[in-house]
Amino acid sequence: MSGLSRRDVVKLGSAAAAFGIGFPTVLRAQPKEVVMLGLWSFTGAFSDVGPVLDRGMKLALEERGMKVQSKTIKYITRDDETKAGSATRRAEEAVDSDGAKFIIGPWSSGVALAVSEVAKRKKVFHYFSGGTEDISGARCHRYSFQWAASPYTAAKTVVDTFMQANPKAKRWHLLVADYAFGWSVEKYIKEVGKGHGIEFVGADRHPLGEREFSNYVTKAAGNKPDVVAMINFGLDAVTGAREIFNFGLTPKVPLILTWSSGVEELVQLNPEIRENLWVGSNFYYTADTPIAREFVKSYQAKFGNPPGYAPAAAYGMTRMTLAAMDKAKSTEVADVVKALEGLELDDLVGRMRVDAKTHQTLRPYFFMRCKKKDAMKGPMDFADIIATGSTPLPAEYAACKDIGSL
Amino acid sequence: MSRAWLVTLATVVLLPVFVRHTIATEIWIFAIFGLGLNLLMGYTGLLSFGQATFFGAAAYAVGYLLKHYAINVVLALAIGVAVGAASAALVGYLCVQRSGLYFIMLTFALNQMFYFTAYQWTTVTGGEDGMPGVPRPEVLGLDIHAPLAYYTVVALLFVLALWIMRRIVESPLGKILQSIRDNELRAEALGYNVPRMKLVAFVLGGAFAGLAGVLYAMLFGIVPLEAIGFVFSGNVVFATLIGGSGSLYGPVIGSFVFIWLSESVSAIWARWPLLLGVAFVVVVLFLRGGVVEAWARYRAWRHASG
Amino acid sequence: MLYALMGIGLSIITGVLNIPNFAHGALFALGAYFLVTLIQLLGNFWLALLLAPLGVGVIGIVIEYGGIRPLYRAGHDYQLLLTFGLSLIVTEGIIIVWSPVGMSQLPPPILRGGVDLGITIYPRYRLFVMAAAALLVLGAWLFLERTRYGAIMRAGIEDKEMVSLLGIDIHRLFTAAFALGCVLAGIAGALTAPIRGLNPWMGVDMLGIAFVVVALAGLGNLLGSIVAGLLVGVAQSLVALVWPEASVAVIFGVMTVVLLVRPQGLFGIR
Repeated sequence: MSGLSRRDVVKLGSAAAAFGIGFPTVLRAQPKEVVMLGLWSFTGAFSDVGPVLDRGMKLALEERGMKVQSKTIKYITRDDETKAGSATRRAEEAVDSDGAKFIIGPWSSGVALAVSEVAKRKKVFHYFSGGTEDISGARCHRYSFQWAASPYTAAKTVVDTFMQANPKAKRWHLLVADYAFGWSVEKYIKEVGKGHGIEFVGADRHPLGEREFSNYVTKAAGNKPDVVAMINFGLDAVTGAREIFNFGLTPKVPLILTWSSGVEELVQLNPEIRENLWVGSNFYYTADTPIAREFVKSYQAKFGNPPGYAPAAAYGMTRMTLAAMDKAKSTEVADVVKALEGLELDDLVGRMRVDAKTHQTLRPYFFMRCKKKDAMKGPMDFADIIATGSTPLPAEYAACKDIGSL
Repeated sequence: MSRAWLVTLATVVLLPVFVRHTIATEIWIFAIFGLGLNLLMGYTGLLSFGQATFFGAAAYAVGYLLKHYAINVVLALAIGVAVGAASAALVGYLCVQRSGLYFIMLTFALNQMFYFTAYQWTTVTGGEDGMPGVPRPEVLGLDIHAPLAYYTVVALLFVLALWIMRRIVESPLGKILQSIRDNELRAEALGYNVPRMKLVAFVLGGAFAGLAGVLYAMLFGIVPLEAIGFVFSGNVVFATLIGGSGSLYGPVIGSFVFIWLSESVSAIWARWPLLLGVAFVVVVLFLRGGVVEAWARYRAWRHASG
Repeated sequence: MLYALMGIGLSIITGVLNIPNFAHGALFALGAYFLVTLIQLLGNFWLALLLAPLGVGVIGIVIEYGGIRPLYRAGHDYQLLLTFGLSLIVTEGIIIVWSPVGMSQLPPPILRGGVDLGITIYPRYRLFVMAAAALLVLGAWLFLERTRYGAIMRAGIEDKEMVSLLGIDIHRLFTAAFALGCVLAGIAGALTAPIRGLNPWMGVDMLGIAFVVVALAGLGNLLGSIVAGLLVGVAQSLVALVWPEASVAVIFGVMTVVLLVRPQGLFGIR
């Protein structure tokens, strides 16, 4: 190959590519198509959630007959394996090869931050729902949006409502997942707690993916708290709640799951463990809005059980994206981003508005109390919503200083 | 030029026509990674279960330099190779005294130590979130952001790596390594310094892993935490075994099969690891020697029947 | 104590068969899932606890017979590939059969709640698990030290050729050893289910720890693996109290050091 210059080599490559471009046409987007990518975990730590996320997004698209702005929507999915590496490489590949322009997902915060970088670099739309503050905070940019409530909204709703119901429960013990999300919720809970005169008798941090909670629970029990509040998610929350029950703390001492996925986590716990369990979540299926009622009805009819936070989030994000396309009367990424900024409407969980400055969706957060075993009307009748709250993050905490340009 | 070389070159040119460019690029990166492992596993008989250590260390180090000091690509690749080799020298120095299961477990344990270092050192590595925003600078004045342009760069480096590996394997050094694999005591009796030779194999393998790590970081613009995890170490071992360890082209074929299959099947069926597991079992029980062996058997069968 | 059970099971397998069993974690998970299903079928925790590990043992026999037997001379790479492939198959099988969503199993009613031990409250079920595991470990120890089969097994670790020269069917020994290791993994899984709940990947953490235990004890050192299992458990909870992020890193660090400095293990004599 020594006779060829570098440029020739590149040209050769391009020639091979030109030959190739026509070849897998099936894989390439037609101009009349809008390609939307659902990036979900089908394997790895969150693989239990992937299939239901997929259902939620599909449902929202099917409602519209797979059409938006008289274009056909092509829905594709990729398995993110709950790994940042797999997610980014499959997202890149879907953008490059399938022409995906709108990414919804993934479920894990760490993975989502990586995907958000892809969205920024590739200039594609990205909507995410989950526990990291950074998407609409320190690492905000024009292409990524956050659907889940701000951790501040969650902390405020949970603490205010709980103290209203249990004014005497002043001694709190916190159990916090040791990463950025856990720290920020912890900070806000302490902040809001001050106003109620709460004494935080302990705050322990556990690594992500912890499965051995006995030491933390022993310590918690030693502090003789009135309440134990956990700030963690998924299996960590489920495993912790089980251990707290095994130690005999619950149901005597109430346990709060501050940021829970609701149905997905509660179904993994026996009714006995759920007694005196208080749960904050971004969605619960008894949410009283017209859209939620319709969604729960059609979801239940199709899949036989009520939707949890995950399918609701996928459904909600897809709806918001489509609403932005309608508002923009376009399916170009830049137009849709601009249209979603400041969009305000009544949607899945109530009044929703997307803050143009931070790309945070301002919206209600739910707080539930679990039912006792004999009060449950069915195996999935876990809890009653006792409050919703939508206090937005106070401006002085906002970490997104400059959302940047397109 | 041998026929195998022609086939390889043809594949390099034709692959992006049939396979998505990003996947095609990844196949060759993984193949470079596999070539390095194969020198250890296939030619020297050292089953290293910690190759991701070198891959990840190089990816992190160079990713950091690319991000914060905007070094150029040639320097990035050189540093990556050096970091890979240096980390392999360290690990190799500790490991070559042991053999058998102890050796495997030691490479695995050291891999875990590197992993937890990366996991905890969040200011540099980003921990769980990975190290995003690794740029892909120009190479010799050419913009390589287009997937195909980057593919071209990686493919050329792969061909170069393959050529170097062939030289290594056919060199006196390569013969010594193979004699260690076949009979360590005899190699020692012949006067070779076996631990030193093993260390050399380690360093060379680490250099290949480092090169692959840098290319990987630039491909996806991120160094994910799992790039240094033991699962990744396992994957390259398994890919090499599927292809056929101990033959030059084994890891290349293995990486092709492994990546292409897992990418295309994962898009169709969520339970794709099941198929992977079955494939492993089938290879172990019926096709030791991997795809290379299957090809040899097919040729032998054709020869016999006609 | 559970670590000791896992460790001793893996130790028997690595020691007697000289293979790295990467499927050990998946078999652990299988024990837990068998327990839950058997409880649903039989409605009896104790019977299920007895049968679930035996079920895992049967699977173990099948695996040994069909997969591992042809591989004794094949080198660690292929043994690794096989056992890893099997663990993928078992894990994905669990997802297909039981669903990827985690499950919950309560301890039997008399073992629920905590006991006040004076210094701290401790769950009854955990006390039971400790006692049960201690008994099993003791049983395993007596079996290995005091019975003819145990003696054969230990001899099999020391010198396989000698054992087969003595007219003992080495294949049957291997099958028995593998099955025994699987049963112990199954028991550990079943006992863990009410503490940690179930999910298809529950074995992954355990696999790493089991290998650490085996390394600390020295390959094939069965009694050492009991002590090492206890040590790892205690060390991990102590580190978790002062520096939780490092609790896993520390045990691998110790494993590295032991492999480097005392490859025969902490309790090895060889």
